Amino acid sequence: MNKGYLCIVLHGHLPFVRHPEHEDFLEEDWLYEAITETYVPLIEVFEGLLNDKVDFRITMSLTPTLVSMLSDLLLQERYLKHINRLIELAHREVERTRWQPEFQNLAIMYLNNFCKARDIFERFSRNLVTAFKNFQDLGKVEIVTCGATHGYFPLMEVCRESVRAQIKVAVSHYESVFGRRPQGIWLPECGYQPGHDEILREVGLRYFFADAHGVLHGTPRPKYGVFAPVYCRGTGVACFGRDLESSKQVWSSIEGYPGDYYYREFYRDVGFDLDYEYIRPYIHPDGVRINTGIKYYRITGSENKQPYIPHLAREKAAEHAGNFMFNREKQVEYLYDFMQKKSIIVSPYDAELFGHWWYEGPMWLDFLLRKIYFDQKTISTITASEYLFQNPRNQVLVPSMSSWGWKGYSEMWLQGANDWTYRHLHKASERMTELARTFSHTHTDGLLQRALNQALRELLLAQSSDWAFIMGAGTHTAYAVRRTKEHILRFTNLYEQIKSNSVDEKWLQDLEYKDNIFPNIDYRVHQ
Amino acid sequence: MAILRRIKERFKKVMQRKKEPSKAKMPFIRKAEKEKLLKKIKKEALGTQETAIEKAKFSMPAAVRVAPPLLEELPWGYGGDKIVLQVRDPWWIHAYWEVTSQSLDKLRERLGDAFFNARRTLRVYDISQIIFDGTNAHRFFDIEINPEATNWYIDTGGPGRSWCVDIGLRLATRGEFIKIARSNTVYTPIEGPSWITDEEWMVPEEMFARLYGMGFGLGRSSPVGKAWQERIKRALFSGILASPGITSVSSPVKIPKERKFWLIVNTELIVYGATESDAKVTIQGKEIRLRPDGTFSLRFALPDGKQVIPVEATSSDGIDTRTITPIVSKETK
Repeated sequence: MNKGYLCIVLHGHLPFVRHPEHEDFLEEDWLYEAITETYVPLIEVFEGLLNDKVDFRITMSLTPTLVSMLSDLLLQERYLKHINRLIELAHREVERTRWQPEFQNLAIMYLNNFCKARDIFERFSRNLVTAFKNFQDLGKVEIVTCGATHGYFPLMEVCRESVRAQIKVAVSHYESVFGRRPQGIWLPECGYQPGHDEILREVGLRYFFADAHGVLHGTPRPKYGVFAPVYCRGTGVACFGRDLESSKQVWSSIEGYPGDYYYREFYRDVGFDLDYEYIRPYIHPDGVRINTGIKYYRITGSENKQPYIPHLAREKAAEHAGNFMFNREKQVEYLYDFMQKKSIIVSPYDAELFGHWWYEGPMWLDFLLRKIYFDQKTISTITASEYLFQNPRNQVLVPSMSSWGWKGYSEMWLQGANDWTYRHLHKASERMTELARTFSHTHTDGLLQRALNQALRELLLAQSSDWAFIMGAGTHTAYAVRRTKEHILRFTNLYEQIKSNSVDEKWLQDLEYKDNIFPNIDYRVHQ
Repeated sequence: MAILRRIKERFKKVMQRKKEPSKAKMPFIRKAEKEKLLKKIKKEALGTQETAIEKAKFSMPAAVRVAPPLLEELPWGYGGDKIVLQVRDPWWIHAYWEVTSQSLDKLRERLGDAFFNARRTLRVYDISQIIFDGTNAHRFFDIEINPEATNWYIDTGGPGRSWCVDIGLRLATRGEFIKIARSNTVYTPIEGPSWITDEEWMVPEEMFARLYGMGFGLGRSSPVGKAWQERIKRALFSGILASPGITSVSSPVKIPKERKFWLIVNTELIVYGATESDAKVTIQGKEIRLRPDGTFSLRFALPDGKQVIPVEATSSDGIDTRTITPIVSKETK
């Protein structure tokens, strides 16, 4: 009989980056890298567990933007080109490193990784969403929804209509993709504002996740801390708090696993290390050096980086998985005495941390889930829905405003570098509400309806928290600034054309072609 | 109470460190001091990783590409007197506003000379738990702002309270305040656990303090860290583990060096040649592909030492064979 539960949440998200108007667009690589290094390895892990009949539970949020990109034919086509080029480079690397076996082994490892990625990609008919949908249908993975474009909700408080639109568009997108209604939601950036649970209830979402202080600073005081869910006062939507101890073990640079000297170094890539002439065909067509994904070194712990040794890293991953499990067992045992009931430890991570940044992350997860299943009886993995089903009686309180961002509130997205955006975003929201109300009952003909729907698409795309994040993080902000401005300008022009009944169809068509996300969107949700 | 306060302070520190986006900069220092500073940096860097990792998602090239300029720019304003408040954290709120020139013209007309001596002012009202009618605030304070400013971060000093802000003019003579626009109301979250407890879900103070600390991973109250270390130690002495597995020995924190001069030298060897386009060619016994015109070119990373590289070509009918064997030795001084 177990004494408590572990709820691992992987938040899979990338902003919508798709530029059909350009042959080759650098920022699209975010998706291609994540496919090769994160999504495919995770699929491999889950498939392996299923094959070996290991029972496990993972909660994943796949944001509507990510799902849209993974299902997009153009991006799928481009990914195939991308991975083929990488495979070619890996072949050349195997050859080039012939006299350096310590590197050649790695070149072969990457060649295998890339070929496997292509195989899995093809096996799911190029749409990896299908793979995750299957895991959900088998009851192993619970996929939760998110904001339509990952807008940061607390900074939309003055225009709740936009929060509603973000949520409603996401939920109907989820239904069309996964063939069922979502049970829960990962609030973008874990950003919770009291009152937004009303909107969650409206659309039938039963739970969300908040950072630790969202629950711990709730009113009244939560009896079980973050180790049991609470219901929001007035709405009954359940809120699960993040456990920072388990988070820290993976995130932190001191106690965190990914910094281990035996693990692969993220910052040394052949895209930067090799002779320009040689690497030229595999970097950006502009000739700008970029990461290729082939990385030969381990973190080492000094400037003089040593070659990566896969089997040592693997041992480390196993050991770290053991450590993580042991700590959760102790935590759960302690809590069981304390609480007199089974606790739930919620450990959320960015999915892209696994594999992309922390190369051994998927391996660690694999070891962890196997160990939990075979090696002990104190903890089991669980999804939030299952926990609620087993523990329907929970304390009622008002969680505190919070996020999992820098300093725990809104500063990451509200600081000197990005605060200028809200004036425009809020105005656009206000105008969208005006449009939705004006045309809520009138029968809209083809062109007008298309313009209204496109206006909402542009607004949602402008609201992605990623743009503010990149501006706030302060490096290479140009793309984020441009995307924000572009979508607001497109929205404003649409608004003006709609108001003056002079929609430019050719231009609208061009926008629909470029910003083609959410084909079935209905502008009326923005109210 | 004391326990809670202590934990609250530590929480504050944790929050400050979370996802710290600014890189730790280190002045030029002597080696002896380095160790000490390194330790400090390590401490401060807790959470830096979270932002760093998230940033890694959006990998960017070293050079900045130049995109074509936008055809339009966003407007400065939208024509309306307006002020909007947003919460940044328990202590700070942000205000942005727009005041139209028409409104200012009207005020100038109405006030005459007094207009020119008046100060552009934000009046911040504490309106916790009341329905604000413009006069019943618990208290208010004024912030004098530059006429060119269009937004402001306001230190409310008051977590867990409701706020409303007017933008307006404060007349120099009588101290009278003329409102131009009034903001929405915001509520700053409390910065620690609530003092309100739930009778039905009562929890003793001591117990809550422990749970609270555990939630933040502050460790002391949870048995985790220590037990694991002990287990590892035991395993070490019994020879189960090859290396000490305590993660804290490793850290990717790098000390930025004051002087950044550096040099890297690598060598590669290019072996190229040509033969009949349908011939079979091997290099060091491994078959290679010829280009359609019968040429070939291979590139190898060249380590120190001697490389013997037999290149053998065999005609398509298998009758003729030619072998040429370059021998290359490399040494690095």
